[in-house]
Formats: sequence, structure tokens, C-alpha cells
Amino acid sequence: MTLVLQAVVNGLEMGLVYALVAVGLAIIWGLMEMINFAHGELLMLGMFGAWWFSTTLHLDPLLAIPPVALVMFGVGRLIYTLLMRRVQRGETFAQIFATIGLFFFLQNSAVAAFTSDYRFVEGGLLSRLSGINLHLAGLSVGLPLLIAGALALVLFLALYLLVERTEFGLALQATSEDREAAMLVGIRPQRMFAVAWGLGAALVAVAGAILANFFAAYPQVGFPFTVLAYAIVALGGFGSILGTLLAALLVGVVQSVTVVYLPPAFKDAFVFASYLLIGLLRPQGLFGKF
Amino acid sequence: MPALALAAAALIALALPIPLQVAGYSYFVTVAFLVILNAMLGVGWNVIGGWAGQFDFGPNVFFAVGAYVAALLAVHLALSPWLGLVAGVGAAVVICAVLTWPITQLRGHYFAIATVAIWMIAQPIGATWELINGSRGLFLPLRPATGPLDAVVSLRFPGRSKALAFYYVILVLFAVTLVLLRMVDRSKLGFYFRAIRDDQEGAEGIGIDSRLYKVIARSITAAVFAAAGVVYAFWALAVFPEQVLDLNWSTFPMMATVVGGIGSLWGPVVGAVLLIPISQLMGATLGAGPLAGRGIDLVVYGVIIMLVAALRPNGLLSLPWRAWGRRLVGRKR
Repeated sequence: MTLVLQAVVNGLEMGLVYALVAVGLAIIWGLMEMINFAHGELLMLGMFGAWWFSTTLHLDPLLAIPPVALVMFGVGRLIYTLLMRRVQRGETFAQIFATIGLFFFLQNSAVAAFTSDYRFVEGGLLSRLSGINLHLAGLSVGLPLLIAGALALVLFLALYLLVERTEFGLALQATSEDREAAMLVGIRPQRMFAVAWGLGAALVAVAGAILANFFAAYPQVGFPFTVLAYAIVALGGFGSILGTLLAALLVGVVQSVTVVYLPPAFKDAFVFASYLLIGLLRPQGLFGKF
Repeated sequence: MPALALAAAALIALALPIPLQVAGYSYFVTVAFLVILNAMLGVGWNVIGGWAGQFDFGPNVFFAVGAYVAALLAVHLALSPWLGLVAGVGAAVVICAVLTWPITQLRGHYFAIATVAIWMIAQPIGATWELINGSRGLFLPLRPATGPLDAVVSLRFPGRSKALAFYYVILVLFAVTLVLLRMVDRSKLGFYFRAIRDDQEGAEGIGIDSRLYKVIARSITAAVFAAAGVVYAFWALAVFPEQVLDLNWSTFPMMATVVGGIGSLWGPVVGAVLLIPISQLMGATLGAGPLAGRGIDLVVYGVIIMLVAALRPNGLLSLPWRAWGRRLVGRKR
């Protein structure tokens, strides 16, 4: 029983970081209804950003978060204006393929630039704290993952407030609900889409910079996170930012509890099985509004 | 004109590998084998993706089903690959129908993610299931063929002739696939698929059971993937989960379809002929240089796909070739 409780605690910690991975997609896919199969590749770029920051500049990888966010905001805007704007109005498959092309381009450019070797971030604050556990009622909570989770939660809540409580967020939601009507009240939809892509890319890259403290960075690291993020957003329900957080926590717990009973290879299988089950029984997701 | 082009293409496909083989370039014959294999997969994917308009990201599951069923039958019952082909295709169709029926109520992106989910679940099963030897893989029994007839029946070709023989095996299967799918394309089924793609509510309004026909479309795709998987298993002489469930068995046929022209019968063929050699020949020319094995070919793929998606989403075949040809001929006069 303690084993399961311990797994639940670990899963919740991991789930907080997953929430940050998924929330970028929740904006692009859930809110703006555009698909992005290169989501995990943006995360991979964030990981490499943190790795480069720590090995070249010898700074703590956590300090890489602001520059990574800034650069990737620009990259996201660029992806929208150069590529996605052209396929936005056409058929869905053009969007899907544009981002598959982007997936191949980003992943293999990273192979060309960094090779497929595994890169480890060393000497950061979180890796120095590794092995330190907080003990609470017989359960141990890893401090590095707790800090990472807290950081992810803060960023997540900042985004939630931005989308739900500011004028900008209202404009974003208005564009997603009715593009023409939004234009009538003076919102420029293309600008909104560009900013949404920038925000989405920045958030997932920051998640990557945080994850680089725990996982090796390599060009192919992204795809599993892409599908995980899709499962989380669909589980949480479209357009529901808090739903994404709860779904991400659920996914983290399902993963770590699965590992207690089954070989580790199955940890994602159960996440996707629950996605299929919930997708069929409750298509609007667990916390969806529509 | 199209008949002439078809005859020319068929002639090239039949004759091209012979000089390569004679000159000793059997590597290029293998490239041609992979081109036809991917063209066949692309034509198969086009049924669910292009005609029925349902984005299937995980058809490689059925490639694996075909490869595993035929390999299991060859290992345990010493069954001929051709009987294995029938069994593999049958198993893939049944498994596909059972798995696809529930997810046909999902639409658009949701359907796509559901197919990814099935693939994600298939991977650990393939890696741990003892019946198929888990990640240790299945090795096909080796024994030399007793004669030319036995070689064809058991798909065991000695030494250098292997590349050429497998090229013709896949070419025959590809031709059969094209003929059958052309029949489907022109039958009621083809119209039902397109009706569902273009307007699902409208199609349902005139009495087309959209869920049933989506299942049929994906099962046809699964059958083609399984057949190709069987040939691939006997070509590679072994079946490993990470090899037959590789994402590239889904993405390459899709890319070929989109670059060539989604929805048209010949689109995937054009795409495969253009795309697959890029990767294989770049691998050969970059050789041991500093950029070898650095994924440059796939960077080029990515750029091509993005350009086609952004500028010509209906693919290269949708360009006004006929008008250009006429203008060219007119100028000459």
C-alpha cells in the first residue's frame, strides 16, 4: 500500500511537469484548434537550449529558462507566420502534414547540429540536490522534482491568469470562438494566432529546459512527449486550461502506478488506453466545457 | 496519353533493375525494392487517408501484424510465405476491424490521436509478448531452396539473386494492389468513401453508414500494409518489434502520398519514386563524410513536405501538367 501511495506522490510530481508540456498544446490545439505534431520537437529544442547554456556558459540550467522562453516565443511566432498561416484555412490534412514536415525538419536539423548522442546537463542546482528527499508520513518526496513541479505550477498558473483574467486572454478566447466576430470588435486574428503559437512554443520549451535536469537531451526525445501531450489535452477537455492540469496529474499518477505492477514498457500504454476509453465514453474530455 | 505513360512506367519498372543487377549494383536494386514497397504502402494508406479522409497515423501496426503472423507460421509450422501472406492479411483485416469500429465515432484530430494511441499500446505488447519472442525477435528458419520453383514458393533466393528476386516479388504484389484498388476506386465503395470524406452528415443523410465504411476503408489499408509486412519479414529474415513498428512505416507512405497527390490512385507512387531514393542515395553519396548519418536526407524531406503542404496541398499530380505539356508541344510547332 505504501508502495502505491509512494507511486501516487511521484506521479503527482511528474504530472506537474507534464502539465507544463501539455499547456502549450492546450493553447495551440485546444484553444486555437490548430494541430501541431512538432510539439515535442519544440520541447527538444528547449532541452538542448538548457544543455547548451549549462555546458557553454557554465550557468545553472534553470537560468536558461528566461532566454529559452524568449527565443522560443519568437520561433513559435515564426512558425505561424511562415508556415501555419498558409495552411490554416485549408483542409485539416494540410495542417497535419505541414507540422509533420516541421517535425522532420526540426528533429533532423538537431541531429545534424548535435548528433544523436545523449547529452546530460550537469552541475545544476537540481542535480546537486538529487538524492535529497523530504519525508512526510512515511512517504519520501524527491526535492529536485518537487522544485521542478513547483516551478511548472507557477508558470502554469501565470498562463491560466493570462488567458482567463486579462483583456488579452479574452481576445484570444474570442478569436478561438468566432474569428469574424472578433474581427468586428477590432481584434486582429492573425496577430492572436501568432501570439498563441509564440506562447505555446515558449511554454513547452521551458518545460523542456526543466526536464533537461532529469532526462538526457537527444534529437528524438520529443515524439513520446508529443503524443503524451495530445492525450493529456484530449483527456482534460478542449479549451479547459485547468482541465489540462488535472489530466496531466492523472497521467503522471497512471504512469507511475502502472510501473509498480507491470514492466516499465507499459507505462505509456495505460495512459493511452485511458485516453481511448475516456475518448469513447466522454468525447468532450473529463473537464471539457463543450 | 495516360495509357502511354502507364506503359512506359511499367516497362521501366520491369526492365530497370536488370542492367543494375548485371553491372553488380545490387544495392540500387534494393533501393528500387524499397521504393516499390513504400509506393505500395502509400497506395494502401491513400484508401483511409485520401479517399475516406480519415487521418490514420498508425497503419504500421498492421505491417507488424502481417510480418509476425507469417513469421510465426513459418517458424512453427514451416508454412510457405504465400500461405502466410493470406493468413497475415486475414489476421490484419480482422484485428483492424475490431480495433477500428469503436474509434470511428471519433472524428478529425481525435481519430488521428486514437490511431497513435493504438500504436503506442502495440509497442510494449510487441516488446514483451512471449509468443512472438518479445524484443528478442523472431528469426526465420534458414534452409537453401531445392530448386527455382521451391525458391519462388518459399521466397528463399540464393546470394546475389535475392535483391532482384524480391524486387519482382514486391512489384507483382504492388501491381495486384493497384489493380484491386483501382476497382475499389471505381466501385460504389470508392464513392461512399469520398462522400464520407467530403460531407459526413450528407453521406449519412442518403443512407451511407459512415462508421461501417470507415472500418472497411481502414481494413483495406490494413490488408495492404500486412501484405507488404509479410514480404518485408522474408526479405529481412527476422522480425523485431522496434523494426516492424517503426514510425517510418507510417510516415514515409504518408509523405509519399501527400507529395505525389493525396486522394489520387497514382499520387503515392509518384511521391515514393521521388522521395525514397533521396534518402537512400544521399546515404550512399554522403558516405563517410562529416555529414554522414546526420539526418540531412530527412531535413530535406521535412522542407519538401512543408513546401508542398503550404503551397500545393493537393500534391504534385494536381499541378496542370497537361496544359504545360500542350504549351510545350505548341511552342515546338
